[in-house]
Amino acid sequence: MVLDILMILEKGIWFGFAALGFAVLFNVPQRALMIIWLIGAAGGLTKLIMMQCNIGIVIATFAGASLVGILSVSAAHNKHAPPLVFSIPSVIPMIPGAFAYRMMLGLMKLSGTAISNDNYYQTLAETTSNGLKALFILLALAVGVAIPMLISRKETIKKIRHKSDSLE
Amino acid sequence: MNGSNIHKVKEVEEMLLDVGTLLMSSGASTGRVRTTVNRIAEALGYDVELLITSRSLMLTVTEENGSDYTSSVRRTPPHGVNFKLVSGISRMSWRVIEDKMTVAQINEDINRLTSLPHYPRLVILSLVALAGASFCRLFGGEGWELVVTFVASFFGLFIRQEALKKSFNPYLAIVFASFAASMIAGLSVKLGIGDTPEHALATSVLFLIPGVPLINSLTDIIDGNTLNGIVRGVNGFVMAFAIALGLMFAMQIYGI
Repeated sequence: MVLDILMILEKGIWFGFAALGFAVLFNVPQRALMIIWLIGAAGGLTKLIMMQCNIGIVIATFAGASLVGILSVSAAHNKHAPPLVFSIPSVIPMIPGAFAYRMMLGLMKLSGTAISNDNYYQTLAETTSNGLKALFILLALAVGVAIPMLISRKETIKKIRHKSDSLE
Repeated sequence: MNGSNIHKVKEVEEMLLDVGTLLMSSGASTGRVRTTVNRIAEALGYDVELLITSRSLMLTVTEENGSDYTSSVRRTPPHGVNFKLVSGISRMSWRVIEDKMTVAQINEDINRLTSLPHYPRLVILSLVALAGASFCRLFGGEGWELVVTFVASFFGLFIRQEALKKSFNPYLAIVFASFAASMIAGLSVKLGIGDTPEHALATSVLFLIPGVPLINSLTDIIDGNTLNGIVRGVNGFVMAFAIALGLMFAMQIYGI
């Protein structure tokens, strides 16, 4: 049990570094780097812990991405940068690379000629399953991270109106 | 119509076009471009109507208490994602409201923001390579596989940067990078380095994933900017296809 927890926490560190790499690639301001590491790790850990509790990977990813979205909105208020600066690098480590890769392999096998009939349906089933998982995880990621931003955007617009009214 | 007045409106319009196209090309969502341009225009006392597409920006600026107006279109420059610019312009738009900045001051600030340096190239390469190795660890890789992924991502990104510098088609640059990275990772599969070298192959190309277009696509669609969302989504899918193409070439060569 303790070992399991340690294993999951260790993965959190790697989630953080994966987020950090993309943050640097997207030229994020320096003051945001540390926060992105933390948000990326928190989102990834949420996903892993939920999966440990036998919750499906799509829902787990959605929860992780939503947490990233919510944390990004609050980080945006503190660090004075738009939320997407924090959220996009932080969710990228949760991208379903392994499923997409397996789907690719399957598609290549299916389009090849050297495949027998029995094998064909097995490969087709596996490829469809992997592809659909990849697609739904991707949708869960994007929707999960977008919703908190959209909800909070309404708030900031109100604040702008309020602010410009009070200035006049 | 007063000649000097229309000149002023033109000046504001040029500045707003700069702001909008820079934001659009550095990875802001359509809603953010519209909000920011509107915010700056409102603070300066102008009304603005925008037509935002992925490759160009069109806007009409009208004086709030006057009859002078002007319209213009500008192409969006093909720069890459740059969040320092997005956050810099967003901060500036608040300062325009709070500090009552003039158009000249705003232009100065835009020049300052566009000339801000990126991270040193070696730092970018190493940290992105580290991100690649992290992906490999997350998918269950160990030991040597991490090293292989690190090296593959490092050289893959290097190839992409070089290809973009030589102004190849951006999709082609991704094919080159994905091919280079998977050739390096594929070598480890061939030589049998590590226990499960497939992890290295699968994760060596992940540094290329089009995260910004795909997430912005969904944000735009949910936001009601359906057309821009579709454009960005197609863009992201073509990028993903380019990654797969490079990977496929390498796998065919190695016969994996």
